Amino acid sequence: MASDTSEAASSPPDLKLQFAPFSSALEAGFWHQLTQKKLNDYRLDESPKSIKGYYYNGDPLGLPTRLTLEFSAFEVDGPTPAHCCPATGTLYNTNTLDAFKTTDKKALLEKEAKEIWDSIQSGAALKDPSILCKFILLTFADLKKYHFYYWFCFPALCFPEGIKIIQQPSALEQVFSAKQITALQEAYDVLCIKRGTTAEPYFLMKYTADTVQMAPLEDWDTFITDTKKVTVGVYDPCTLSQHPGWPLRNLLVLLASQWGSKLDTVEVLCFRDRTLQGSRSIQHGVIFQIKLPELPLNSACPKSVGWEKNPKGAMGPRMVNLSECMDPKRLAESSVDLNLKLMRWRLVPSLDLDKVVSTKCLLLGAGTLGCNVARTLMGWGVRHITFVDNAKISYSNPVRQPLYEFEDCLGGGKFKATAAVDRLTKIFPGVNAEGHNMSIPMPGHPVNFSEATLSQAQTDVEQLEKLISEHDVVFLLMDTRESRWLPTVIAASKRKLVVNAALGFDTFVVMRHGLKTAPVSRGVSAAADSSTSCSSASSSSSTPAGPAPSVPASSLFSNIPGHKLGCYFCNDVVAPGDSTRDRTLDQQCTVSRPGLAMIAGALAVEMMVSILQHSEGGYAVASSSDDRMNEPPTSLGLVPHQIRGFLSRFDNVLPASMAFDKCTACSPIVLDNYEREGFNFLSNVFNSSHSFLEDLTGLTLLHQETQAAEIWDLSDDESI
Amino acid sequence: MSRGVLDEESFRLCCRLLLQRSEQLRDGWSWKAVQGSEEGYLRKTALRSVVIDPSPARDQEGSGSDSEPRTSCQSCPDQQGREKEESALVASVDTDRVSGAIDDDEDDEDDGVCTVSGGSSQVLQYEYHILHSCSYAAPVLYFRAFTQEGRSLTLEEVWSSVHPSFRLRLQSSPLNTISLQEHPLLGQPFFMLHPCRTEEFMRPVLQAQDQHRPVNYVLSWLSVVGPVVGLDVPLKYSTSPGSSTEPH
Ligand SMILES: [Zn+2]
Repeated sequence: MASDTSEAASSPPDLKLQFAPFSSALEAGFWHQLTQKKLNDYRLDESPKSIKGYYYNGDPLGLPTRLTLEFSAFEVDGPTPAHCCPATGTLYNTNTLDAFKTTDKKALLEKEAKEIWDSIQSGAALKDPSILCKFILLTFADLKKYHFYYWFCFPALCFPEGIKIIQQPSALEQVFSAKQITALQEAYDVLCIKRGTTAEPYFLMKYTADTVQMAPLEDWDTFITDTKKVTVGVYDPCTLSQHPGWPLRNLLVLLASQWGSKLDTVEVLCFRDRTLQGSRSIQHGVIFQIKLPELPLNSACPKSVGWEKNPKGAMGPRMVNLSECMDPKRLAESSVDLNLKLMRWRLVPSLDLDKVVSTKCLLLGAGTLGCNVARTLMGWGVRHITFVDNAKISYSNPVRQPLYEFEDCLGGGKFKATAAVDRLTKIFPGVNAEGHNMSIPMPGHPVNFSEATLSQAQTDVEQLEKLISEHDVVFLLMDTRESRWLPTVIAASKRKLVVNAALGFDTFVVMRHGLKTAPVSRGVSAAADSSTSCSSASSSSSTPAGPAPSVPASSLFSNIPGHKLGCYFCNDVVAPGDSTRDRTLDQQCTVSRPGLAMIAGALAVEMMVSILQHSEGGYAVASSSDDRMNEPPTSLGLVPHQIRGFLSRFDNVLPASMAFDKCTACSPIVLDNYEREGFNFLSNVFNSSHSFLEDLTGLTLLHQETQAAEIWDLSDDESI
Repeated sequence: MSRGVLDEESFRLCCRLLLQRSEQLRDGWSWKAVQGSEEGYLRKTALRSVVIDPSPARDQEGSGSDSEPRTSCQSCPDQQGREKEESALVASVDTDRVSGAIDDDEDDEDDGVCTVSGGSSQVLQYEYHILHSCSYAAPVLYFRAFTQEGRSLTLEEVWSSVHPSFRLRLQSSPLNTISLQEHPLLGQPFFMLHPCRTEEFMRPVLQAQDQHRPVNYVLSWLSVVGPVVGLDVPLKYSTSPGSSTEPH
């Protein structure tokens, strides 16, 4: 028993009685309730409030003597936990930290001590001895940071001299026989029943060799017949064998004040009553023989003590930081994470959530697709989301673009990129979102009207290059085809994963761009790629966005590794920029079926997550529709190249197609030009007609051949 | 009940029996009904004194990952274990940079107070709730733990208070672990022992029960899962309540 030896060392040779102070114990519920009271009830009211705590005499050895305040502390008339003694207190909740600091603690203590003293003098404390166990709680609640400053005081009246004990304290079992102990326990239980309580803070006692009698304090005059031997019981929350707890302290003052003239010594039973492993015992209680000191003859209130020391042992306040469990933002973050972890624990144990959550996503376009992609990313716990858009929110937007509201359209409309960030932060404050209100230069849309427009375009390009470098995944979610060209080129050059989504009226394509191999080996592999030149020029005119879902093509080109997959422009036979001739899905975005953007936006994110779960990421071999029956390559299933959806049939297919060596966006010659000449090359593309890119890539030639073929086909048909 | 599952009605019956016995044993369980509904839960609080490891190991161990915390812990699982439990539990309080202290001046030194050095030990209050889960058809143990200031322990701190032998067992099975979860009735964050395996380990217990002494599902279950998180179930629960009065 380590605690015994340390006590013995500190136990005084002159047999001075020393009390174990209360230490405050606050449950989180108390702080929650104080917060509610402060917000809804007290507000700026600093007047003292009545609260209630309790203490317990059944703790196992070694626990500190506690005064506990829980959720129910504010219901002064509410029940006290069974077998516990209530203690009433006064709460001083200040509005500022400064008021907390400058509150006159000594005055508070003296005021409370005076009330105790007055109740002793008046006899009120005899009738209700719980008055002897009062406390003060001084608090300041910083509800911005969820920091709670507090300081407890357990007022105790002091004798001018110390209190002497006339012999070493003894354990009850050393003084009482087993029979007496049984009788004592029964007498206490009877007293409790009589008083309608489950715990009695103070009581009077008489005993013989085999009987024990008890009575409440107020029965003193009838119960105590012989003042030579007076035994008083105190419900004692202390577990130390050499010291009584705090509640005895004011009782001794009461005894001295009321009967000091008749009493020289008093026997005190520190009643301790614990149940361990279902066995109740009281024999570890402690008996003190106390020489009752005298109080000064005048009836002035004695000196008082009682402010609690802080954990450092200094006379100072305490502070608890509850932001972790009370700050709604922190709670939201941990709940979002938890939700995802449950998915992993319960359904997909091998899911690598960190990979998903830590992915930095760049969303080019904050319209119908951008809004839906962002929401799905949030669902996956992705924290880092950046929007690029140059549009303002118009009245038609909010019904289809879930990050905007009617209010956002007023006064000309807010910028989408920044409004989207605001909304994401409202939905989930833990998100790290950024918005850039900027245009993306496009092929065939000249930027050389003036020095200013040219340098603006250069700035925009540099900004876009920087953004793409800083992110892991680039989502192409714009509503024009041409604006996808520049980010496709930059991302291909920087080897960033691109997920592209485009809508028609009732069809959509969601695809990942092929991820080129590292620059060193690119020359070799690009040459190899070009030998297996790309598919189906024929089908591209019917569904112009991206490579076509021609079934023979996808089975022909099965098992295409990620670095050989095509991009959005690979199937084009025209360069982007000529919007009059180019019938594209994405230009009709606003007239697509309303559910389409949500479906495609969600699929774009789910595709990204599946890619991230693959050990080879963007280099993963494309899964095709034929793979649906095979062992999936990731814990989440397939990693297709494209998902093409047909809402009219409620059907999706998973085509895959190879990079096209004459692609106007990802072919080696385009990337070489971009990497060598940078903005010079790009501005040429912006300023020239589409034929510039077509000439560069050799598409012009191919185009002529294809038209010839089509004509030949047509004439062939006609001949039938 | 024979299949190892527990419907809600049986759950309530088990709880009532457990409560009766708890009252006799002063074990501290109470029933908390949710206002305006049939639903409720068993609740108990318990204190555990935990010794803070004075070695400064912790801070260097790095943080951030949500995987297992690597705190050393040597706690004794023996019967009165909670009296002398030791663990390198954490919970360093953000102590005050607040002034406003009383000047340690003059005659305020109180010689009537004994110096109780708390030493390096810290008292934690554990709050346990037993709820019925419809989806698992099993009882579920929710709990949270607070410092004496009322600060909730983090998942990592809770882990470090789990006895090492249990910790190993828990960690080897991702489906049977402690996680932070919203309390289904209170909506507050609680830790939860996942009930996925409950049916599995309860089936043999229930098969072994003899005709005359039916097993209290909740009690048997609790005696298995409780000790993992420091909740002891006195053996006396299993002795028949009417048979004899307590020995003195
Ligand atoms: Zn391409």
